[in-house]
Amino acid sequence: MRELDLSRLQSELLRSGVAPRHVRRTVDELSDHYEDLVEQGLSEGLDSRSARCGAVTMLGEVEVIAQAVRAQPELRSWAFRFPRVAAVVYPLTFVMLLPAAPVFIGAAHANHLAKWVVCLFLSGVVTAAMFLMLQLAITLT
Amino acid sequence: MAQSNPPFMSGVPELLLLRLLDQSEMYGYELVRSIRAATGEAISLGEGVIYPVLHSLERNGSLKSKRKAVSGRTRVYYSLTGKGRQRLGKLQDDWRRIQGGIANALEVPSHA
Repeated sequence: MRELDLSRLQSELLRSGVAPRHVRRTVDELSDHYEDLVEQGLSEGLDSRSARCGAVTMLGEVEVIAQAVRAQPELRSWAFRFPRVAAVVYPLTFVMLLPAAPVFIGAAHANHLAKWVVCLFLSGVVTAAMFLMLQLAITLT
Repeated sequence: MAQSNPPFMSGVPELLLLRLLDQSEMYGYELVRSIRAATGEAISLGEGVIYPVLHSLERNGSLKSKRKAVSGRTRVYYSLTGKGRQRLGKLQDDWRRIQGGIANALEVPSHA
């Protein structure tokens, strides 16, 4: 039985450089359209299997839809439309953001970071207490 | 179910979509049904190819879209903008000119 392979369409479009938001939207709208077509088939008296097959036929082949999307250059991500600009902007942005990397990494791993901070604090307290006791012992002797 | 015309005719869907959306806002499935009805089923297409055309028209400012929740589903409704109306006017003029040209050509007796 023919099935609507939206995940294949999604990966093909992303691979072709279509902007992810256009890919998401195309897939969402196609999925909705498919459901409408299935409902239409069922209301015309088809069984579920035939209604789904018919809906896939009506929507068209994934390759044809992908080709129609690719035929609209304005739907591509800007990096694909202006590769030379992207080749300059991406490395520059990366270099500029590099010093802030620890902040981003810390934010992304806040839980681990919090544990490390607590451990460091506790070890500091223990070390300070040991020094204090050592100092006390020296003073008493 | 209707037969589709896979190589979606260049420029025709844009004209039809703008014309239909000039009358009322619609979502994709509704638009395809309307194209069928408006053209007397003369034009039917692989329905999935309508979305890239709609997205492209929206991107160039001819259409705007809004999401509406209808019976538990979120549908994207499209409507025409001022720029879209201008574009429709131009496409209609172009189409009438081409249509007139072809009609003239068909009236000329064949020498074959």
